[in-house]
Amino acid sequence: MEIANTYYSKDEYVETASGNKVSRQTVLCGSQNIVLNGKVIVQSGSIIRGDLANVRTGRYCVISKNAVIRPPCKQFSKGIAFFPMHIGDHVFIGEDAVVSAAVIGSFVYIGKNAIIGRRCVLKDCCIIEDGAVLPPETTVGSYMRFTAKGTIEGGQGNPNFVPTAMQDQMIDYTKSFYEHFVRAPAAC
Amino acid sequence: MANFMQDSVVKYACSCGILNPISKLFFCRHCPKLRCGFCVCHEVDSNFCSNCLENIPSSEARNKKNCCANCFNCPCCHHTLSARATTVVVQKKPEEGAKDGDGAAGADAKPDPSKVITKKMYYLSCLACRWTSRDVGIPDQSVATGSWPDNECAYQTRFNALAEYYQAVVQQDKQERQEYLRRKTPKTHKFPSLTDRTGLTVSIIRRQMGWSDKNTQKAKPVNIAPAQNTEDVGQLPESIFTQKINLRNITTVKQRHNQPCEQPFTINKLYPQRRGLWIKRSLRCRECEHNVIKPEYHPTSVKYRIQLFASYHVPDVLLVKCDQPLKAGEPNAVILKLSNPTLHDMEINIVELPTEEDELKLIEEFKRACTLKDTSLTAATAMDSLKSLTGSPSLTGTASLTNTSLVRQTSILEEPRVVKLKVNSKLQPPEASFILNLRDDSREFDDEPQTTTKSEPEFIVSRKSNKVYLSLKFIPDADLKTGDDVYVGFNMLYTYVNTVTNTPEKKEPTTHVLNCRIYVQVGSIEA
Repeated sequence: MEIANTYYSKDEYVETASGNKVSRQTVLCGSQNIVLNGKVIVQSGSIIRGDLANVRTGRYCVISKNAVIRPPCKQFSKGIAFFPMHIGDHVFIGEDAVVSAAVIGSFVYIGKNAIIGRRCVLKDCCIIEDGAVLPPETTVGSYMRFTAKGTIEGGQGNPNFVPTAMQDQMIDYTKSFYEHFVRAPAAC
Repeated sequence: MANFMQDSVVKYACSCGILNPISKLFFCRHCPKLRCGFCVCHEVDSNFCSNCLENIPSSEARNKKNCCANCFNCPCCHHTLSARATTVVVQKKPEEGAKDGDGAAGADAKPDPSKVITKKMYYLSCLACRWTSRDVGIPDQSVATGSWPDNECAYQTRFNALAEYYQAVVQQDKQERQEYLRRKTPKTHKFPSLTDRTGLTVSIIRRQMGWSDKNTQKAKPVNIAPAQNTEDVGQLPESIFTQKINLRNITTVKQRHNQPCEQPFTINKLYPQRRGLWIKRSLRCRECEHNVIKPEYHPTSVKYRIQLFASYHVPDVLLVKCDQPLKAGEPNAVILKLSNPTLHDMEINIVELPTEEDELKLIEEFKRACTLKDTSLTAATAMDSLKSLTGSPSLTGTASLTNTSLVRQTSILEEPRVVKLKVNSKLQPPEASFILNLRDDSREFDDEPQTTTKSEPEFIVSRKSNKVYLSLKFIPDADLKTGDDVYVGFNMLYTYVNTVTNTPEKKEPTTHVLNCRIYVQVGSIEA
């Protein structure tokens, strides 16, 4: 199925010069520490905690409704420290997901209600299933699928878990999501 | 493209007859046919650890029993263990010894701060279930990786001896069979190397001439002590009847199977397990033995050296919407979006699916051709017979086939079958063919809309660079009930320009008319 158009009202979203579409109903703490590299959609209700540490996203990322992006922390003997968080290009973060990963590669799909524990590393082209819970400091390799049951499946060249053309699929998906995320006609 | 996480409503029939979304299909350029996961050979390309992302060569992997040297799995929940550091106070006086414990405990123990030095000690901890290596009494280590003890199984030596013995038995068996075959086969050709001088090694020539290989040693299995049965099995301990079982201390079946050589009964015998390695696979077409997928070796790389995805060569069909609500027996139309992924224009013709009898007949013909003895001859005829089914002319010449059969074993082909899905609507195919423009990435940045100069057939709704929106008329069967899913199927003939040829004399790209069967789930009958 082709993705249906999602309409938003003009008052609800702010569009920047680089093509980012950011909802007004979001909590962007420490906005000077948040870098959205262009054509990123941040939907209503999401929270990005830039006040804890820097957050950078690549191009064509989608942060869905009520998702929480929270830089990871590490406890030391002398206290607690937060680390910056990097998100690659063409990353989809599903609704109500809580993401506290250290690094998210490019072409990553994070399902809705997923919880990514602190300092996880998600490599390029991996899938986190809906409702999966990643324990802290987990590494999910390329072309791996972290299931809701808590197992890791797949691998490059295995067509059953992650599509072999994951890179093209994610580019296509995030681009068409951006293209179909349009402002509602002025009349209504 | 559609959301790949959802079940796709547009399915392509692979050349073996299994339906798949286009994202799971490959396209062998040499055959040229669609291939699914069952029509390809899966081969191990490289081994790596998915936690530390280190590439491990296959010989080393075999040495380490396909386990990573540094990473451990939790014996409790099978998640990765991570090393935690603690500072431990080591006192100068040797008789006191190292005090175990973290910083707070160490602080209590130190009697004189000037005489105390601290040292980092590591233990393994699972962040998913809170298991630690201290739970089972593994002493903390001074380095984070590499020094963790391997729990040696009691039967390890016996197991190694058995494995060695049976390997020797297998080898002996193989040698004897070879010897027997050599004696049985008549020495027909004395001059095998006249035609192909370079393709044969010395040992093959020797074997063909009926001589034994020079470097063969007779493998003799070393004798092992046979296992002995015992009468005395021992009684169950008394405690098993008298004491209450605490289920918290008993391991689950899964935990036991993760530790196969001990299969511990209680949780205090769970030890960290070495993490198994992962593989990258390369996929090979079973018919022509060309690679369709070959990933890069590096574990973190997501690139491919060979990537023949179907979505790069076959027009992508996407369901946009249905014209009207679906009613049984009433004419309807569906809007499909076709896009051309190749750099050549495609001419597309949509026709009806072959009937089931046609399909069966073609499959029968193909099977009969395959069972005949002469592979090189029948392969060509079989391909011809299958041509009308899958619409692919055979590219592999007979010469190349006979050559490969000498060197490699022919792999088992996936048996073609009839497509399981039954179409329950009548298609009214468009009367004309149309052109699908080539893909041009620079068009994306063009501002002015494309003006269509030539008149379009009426079934084409609109056109945008390499995409065509077309409306396809169909009538759902009259006997469908409310809520039934409606399937529309059609045969798509498209021209494909093949830029690779494996015949050296032809350098020009060749154009083929290929065909694939497409099944679209348009929706369900509305009330």
